[in-house]
Amino acid sequence: MIMNRRSLITTALTLGAMKAFPGLSYAQARPLVFATFTGSWEEAHKAVLVPAFRKANADAAMVLDPMLSVDQIAKVNAAKANPPIDVMLHDPGPALVAIGQDLVEPYPVEKSAYYKDLIAEAQEPMGPAPFFQVVGLTYNPEAVKTPPTSWADLWKSEFKGRVGITNLNSTLGTGWLVEIAKMRGGSEANVDPGFKAIEELKPNLAAVAANPGALATLFQQGQIDISPGNFNAIQILKARGVPVEFVAPKEGAIAFKTTIHIVKNSPNRELAFKLIEASLTPEVQTTLMNPPYLIVPTNSKVTMGGEIARVLAKDTAELKQKFVFQDWKKINEQRSAWIERFNREIKI
Amino acid sequence: MGAAPAPRDVTSHGMGLAVPLALFFLVFFLAPLLQLLWLSLHNDTAALHWGLGQYLHFLTDPFSLSVLGSTLLLGAEVTAVCLVLGFPIAWLYQRVGPRLQTIIILIVLLPLLTSVVVRTFAWIVILGRQGIINATLQSLGIINSPLKLLYTQFGVVIALAQVQMPLMTLPLITALGRIDSNLDDASCSLGAGSWRTFFKIVLPLSLPGVIAGCTLTYAAAITAFITQSLIGGGQMLFMPMYLYQQASTLQNWPFASAISIIFLLAVLAVVSVFTTLGRLSRGYGGA
Repeated sequence: MIMNRRSLITTALTLGAMKAFPGLSYAQARPLVFATFTGSWEEAHKAVLVPAFRKANADAAMVLDPMLSVDQIAKVNAAKANPPIDVMLHDPGPALVAIGQDLVEPYPVEKSAYYKDLIAEAQEPMGPAPFFQVVGLTYNPEAVKTPPTSWADLWKSEFKGRVGITNLNSTLGTGWLVEIAKMRGGSEANVDPGFKAIEELKPNLAAVAANPGALATLFQQGQIDISPGNFNAIQILKARGVPVEFVAPKEGAIAFKTTIHIVKNSPNRELAFKLIEASLTPEVQTTLMNPPYLIVPTNSKVTMGGEIARVLAKDTAELKQKFVFQDWKKINEQRSAWIERFNREIKI
Repeated sequence: MGAAPAPRDVTSHGMGLAVPLALFFLVFFLAPLLQLLWLSLHNDTAALHWGLGQYLHFLTDPFSLSVLGSTLLLGAEVTAVCLVLGFPIAWLYQRVGPRLQTIIILIVLLPLLTSVVVRTFAWIVILGRQGIINATLQSLGIINSPLKLLYTQFGVVIALAQVQMPLMTLPLITALGRIDSNLDDASCSLGAGSWRTFFKIVLPLSLPGVIAGCTLTYAAAITAFITQSLIGGGQMLFMPMYLYQQASTLQNWPFASAISIIFLLAVLAVVSVFTTLGRLSRGYGGA
């Protein structure tokens, strides 16, 4: 058989045209797609948020698509006119990138029943923050007898070869660098003191993990005994019997707003709004605050309890006092330069 | 004189059968590759201004070049380890009974049946500060404080060598199996010792397998993102991680594209060296 040249060209042109004008491929009704994070977030959302949303919306079809923030941005960016995702979840850095690249819609604040109940820091008009992630010091209580109290403790000589950090690919790594820079007189605009501090930390460093997940498993291996760490990540390890504790340093625990956004041009705008509303309700936030999820609530009507009240904050007032929020707009301006600098300078 | 009808050119037969695959490659391989190339030829992240800036940035930056260099070197080290360890296994395979052969082939194939992630985590357990190696050495009193094995070039090479070993061993087994065992006997009966027989007969005849194994192992080792980043940690930078960082964390797609194109060309260069060696070896290995 000889392939007809004309039909070959027609096929190629059609494929090409579909690529150039994604709108041509006819709009299809598809379920609501919610891009959450992998790991504990996916578990928490599958178990609590999705059922709550379904209950409130007559079992509306939806799927969870777990991936990193940066991958969500890449996917939506690749098909802006017909995005494959309706609701995105972002750390503060990627959130600003998504907003800057015009990938998200403003949240219909006036329609929202819960937006005004959120604490002021969580009220973001381009996408509210239903959750906080909190970064403090994590340590192995069997190996570290006196609980650390400050970021500065990581430099103590007793922790020689036992400290773990992550590189700057993650929000955790970048946020921590800013915090130690601040501790030594720097700021979001000037992290030089932070880099100097890491340089001095080298004798203590056992590992620079490629991502926060890899960092958490290092506690399991006994590879590290102390590190800056994510409150939620540590809870999962604890639940599995790994000896690990979290403490908020006296300089303040770093709080990352996890914002949730309606994707621009989403064909499921209304359902997307309803999913986000569900995430802001006191009921969902209360359930997520309890074990095994222990996600810090942002709705001021939720009464803090359990582990969160014990190690983080008893109420919104204490939370505001203990948490440090960083200026990610400033951070994003120089983040690529920092990553490059970290690549070059931090070799152990 | 009535000329006999010229036989149809064999290449004109059945070309239609290749069309689906050709089309598949065109759409899913060539088109994305061209898009990558197109993207890499822009100076800004929004891909509005044409230029060779990304390539210049990479090629004039000692740091980027050192990342490329260390990645290519990593591949060479892993390939060497695989060859040195894989050859005796393949050789042994041809000389043992069928029962042992089954066991050897099982051992060789087993790594392919487990996920790379699982195997890599196993290496973290083995190489860690309180891992099997350090614990054994310490209990034997050979060392006092744990050796640093994880997050070192050594650790990455060892873990990658294990992960990629089947890619080396299988072609070697095939190549060695094709060698007529009478040649060994002939060589011996003509007075050559076993080493001489090995270097003059077995090794040259197995070269096609060696080349194939090296090419596969090399390509797999330098692109092994998971093993490189988990065993190497966050401060050992190889090309796949560098690429990921630029594309995902920094959303600098033009530079990431340029990195991929440069990496692709570097790998193609190395592979073509292997292929050239393979062609030369055919002078020996025609049997």
